[in-house]
Amino acid sequence: MAKVALENLGFRYPGASSDTLVDLSLSITDGAAHALLGGSGTGKTTLLNLFSGLLTPTSGAVLFDGVDVSRVRGRERQVAQVFQFPVLYEGLSVLENLAFPLRTRGWKPDAARQRARQVAKRLDIEALASSQASSLSLFEKQLLAIGKALVRPDLALVLLDEPLTAVEPRVKWQLRTLLREVQKEEGTTMLYVTHDQTEALTFADQVSLMQNGRLIQTGTPAELHDLPDHEYVGHFIGSPGMNLVPVEVRDNRLICAGVDVGDCEQANGTNYRIGFRDSWATLSVQEDPTGLPASVQSVRLLGTQLGEPQGHCRLRLGSTEIHLLTTTQVEPGQAVQVAIPRYLLFQDGKRVATYAG
Amino acid sequence: MQANQNRAWLGVLPVVLIVAFSGVIPLMTVVNFSVQDVLDVNTRFFVGFDWYREILRDQRLLDALGRQLLFSATVLAIEIPLGIAVARAMPREPKGRGWGAAALLVLLALPLLVPWNVVGTIWQVYARPDIGLLGHGINALGIHYNFSQVSSHAWITLILMDVWHWPSLIALLAFSGLTSIPNQHYQAAELDGASRWQVFRFVEMPRLRSVLIIGVLLRLMDSLMIYTEPFVLTGGGPGTSTTLLSQYLATMAVGQFDVGPAAAFSVLYFLLILLLCWLFYTAVVKRDLEQDFARQGERAAHE
Repeated sequence: MAKVALENLGFRYPGASSDTLVDLSLSITDGAAHALLGGSGTGKTTLLNLFSGLLTPTSGAVLFDGVDVSRVRGRERQVAQVFQFPVLYEGLSVLENLAFPLRTRGWKPDAARQRARQVAKRLDIEALASSQASSLSLFEKQLLAIGKALVRPDLALVLLDEPLTAVEPRVKWQLRTLLREVQKEEGTTMLYVTHDQTEALTFADQVSLMQNGRLIQTGTPAELHDLPDHEYVGHFIGSPGMNLVPVEVRDNRLICAGVDVGDCEQANGTNYRIGFRDSWATLSVQEDPTGLPASVQSVRLLGTQLGEPQGHCRLRLGSTEIHLLTTTQVEPGQAVQVAIPRYLLFQDGKRVATYAG
Repeated sequence: MQANQNRAWLGVLPVVLIVAFSGVIPLMTVVNFSVQDVLDVNTRFFVGFDWYREILRDQRLLDALGRQLLFSATVLAIEIPLGIAVARAMPREPKGRGWGAAALLVLLALPLLVPWNVVGTIWQVYARPDIGLLGHGINALGIHYNFSQVSSHAWITLILMDVWHWPSLIALLAFSGLTSIPNQHYQAAELDGASRWQVFRFVEMPRLRSVLIIGVLLRLMDSLMIYTEPFVLTGGGPGTSTTLLSQYLATMAVGQFDVGPAAAFSVLYFLLILLLCWLFYTAVVKRDLEQDFARQGERAAHE
């Protein structure tokens, strides 16, 4: 396995009028599971193809263990890929499929078969070893496709392009857990591309979020959740996304909906928003001069928290809608006070300050 | 309730009638002729299987059968791989598609649109040693070539003509099969380090299998029935060196008006084509089914 990096990588499709990928820099530690998260059309698949060598960067470089491999062809790159839908040699047996990438690289039949069996055993498809690939279920096929990607011990990087899309929800979790276990055991450097944040956040050590061909933040799942660099990250990550409320900075005071919320060292202006998670703010029904006035729109009971019923509340605060978790009993239409002891301050979409308590 | 259900059978009647008049009744008249000796319109005898016995001892017919099998085997052996090769050489990438691929497809389909007797005429003229471009050209190179006098030349011309006419069919079928292969399969093969041959063998061939079965079946049937083109090109000659089954049959039925033997011959001819296609089909499809059953058995044993 290897340390994988991007250096100011840029890519434009021939004949296109704008760049698909703009100035990407990224470093993936050896043996890490890294997720690439982003909506559709953000260039995730293009980036994957640059990693695998199916495309060549327009500028910048792809480095494997410090060596520039940008111009190396896919077959010579020590890369394997799992696709959205199982891509197998349908006419071959499970074992032959697993041995295929080894045989093409000059492994002796016996050695290749032995390694293939080992992988089949690990993925618990040993019983199917001699079955034809075309006779497998979709789940087994994708499992085999993963096995085929993991079979070469000399790989630098394994790419996974939304590998769980085709798998039914019931076994998604099972497959993801298995993938993660094998990844840890073998110390495989993995790049997992997905538009599903739950998949990304539960699978990876590090997550990179992409938007419009740019990497906008890379960090641990917790960092992305609690300390987004951009409003977009806060909004994209988490369910529901981060609450964003317009505020004004006036003479070192932060004013929100006419209420003074606290100190602020930023320059005066109205191009600010505060961001907070639904669990960071509290709600009270008593009069509170420091609280922000809001009205309850709807309440959904989630369950109980320490014996008290906990609800998910949709509120209107000024002109924006926010979400809160609360154990206070409220009803739609009720006027309440919201206190936000912990929040992030964004200026023009970028995080400029963090306030906690 | 019961009556209603029975009346529904009337719905099948049109189909039964159409099939009867288009297939069964004409076929039965042939069968009828094949067991009778018709002397004139009013005189006929029932002769049982005599005509069949006679036909099967007819050396000229057996020779024609031999030539027929040789012809079919040869053109299939050339046209199937050639068609696949042409299909593989065509641009498939969406970017490369443009008008180039469309023009290619039209060009490829062109021979298929030429009426069969025109195909024969084209080649008849084209291969003539005196005025034909091909025939005259070959002779001008100092190689003696005359397809109306030399049997081997007639054979080569016949096969060339068929190879000009039909690989397009295979190519079009194979091309449609190839375009249905998702790009990811090629990408995966590239990352797996597969050679071009391995890509063909393990990625493309499995996907081409079903269209190729249809293609081979069509070509097998057609080549066994071929009549018009050799009739126009060589007329079965020189001598009987290019007389294939259908032509011998026509000589017998129309030329000599031997209705009985010709009918017996027709029945056997029909059964031969049926048999060969059935053999091919079962050989291919049954193997698949058996594999399926074997797999199911295996899975059941594991579970």
